[in-house]
Amino acid sequence: MKNLVLTFLLALLVVLTAISARRMVAGNSTAGVSPTLVAIGGDPVPPMDPPPKPPKPSN
Amino acid sequence: MASIIVSYGLQYGCMLIEAALICYCVSSARRAKRELTPILYLAALLGAALARSSVLHIYGLRSSKYSYLYWTTDFLLVIAAFLVVCLFFRRACFHQEKLWRFVRLLLFFTFVMVVGISGLSFLNHYGRLSVSYIAEFSQDLYFTCLVLNTMLYLMLLQIESTDDQLGLLVCGVGIQFAGPAASMAFYHLTTGDHFAASLNYFTLRVCTLGMLLVWAYAIVCVRDRGTKVARHKIPAFAEVTAD
Repeated sequence: MKNLVLTFLLALLVVLTAISARRMVAGNSTAGVSPTLVAIGGDPVPPMDPPPKPPKPSN
Repeated sequence: MASIIVSYGLQYGCMLIEAALICYCVSSARRAKRELTPILYLAALLGAALARSSVLHIYGLRSSKYSYLYWTTDFLLVIAAFLVVCLFFRRACFHQEKLWRFVRLLLFFTFVMVVGISGLSFLNHYGRLSVSYIAEFSQDLYFTCLVLNTMLYLMLLQIESTDDQLGLLVCGVGIQFAGPAASMAFYHLTTGDHFAASLNYFTLRVCTLGMLLVWAYAIVCVRDRGTKVARHKIPAFAEVTAD
């Protein structure tokens, strides 16, 4: 039981460290800078929102 | 013009190295079995790069098809990276079952927490269900892999692993994860300077290339996987008396 709690706390520490690191370098945009994303591979990152579908022609 | 040539050179160079490494590993059944983890990750990288390149070429950067394909492959790649880190942990703890039980539970809790924390973003962006959640989850898991990989490297030092190949493979993964994160931090520190933006763009490819070169060296040149026992320490007294 004690090991389980310790493991859980360590996992929490790992995740919080990761989230804090992410917020620090990526999540918070500074003045005039939009937040960027890290990615695996070097392909160009598309816009977050896909373009809206064109409206259906009304009769 | 020069930047475009460099960009294409890096992209096709990465693809060639990935394909060459996969061919080298599967050329022998014994080697394929031994290097199964790197082969699976390299196949995922190559498959994603080929699919993205072809769809980007046909439909363009702002098309919905490329957007959906990119985020889907990004999700799959980051899951593959997490599995690779887990399998490296397993390899590091191969002869230490007690340690592996602890690490296995840690990895499980970590994954569940990342899913849960990313789920908060899902609740906040309910209208933009698919892309927003997947991107949030991928980013969180990416940084979690970065932290876990650092922990794995420290653990290898702590248990004094003799598996030199594993050490190099872990270093390769570290280059791929830490490089872009550092570059992005620099980008934000310089408040989006043009040079930093270009550097950030190239760093992703250069880091992938760096990882592939380290992995190529580890797979081709370092064949001895070690005996998984702690390195024998020479006592300081023995060193003194040997002189």
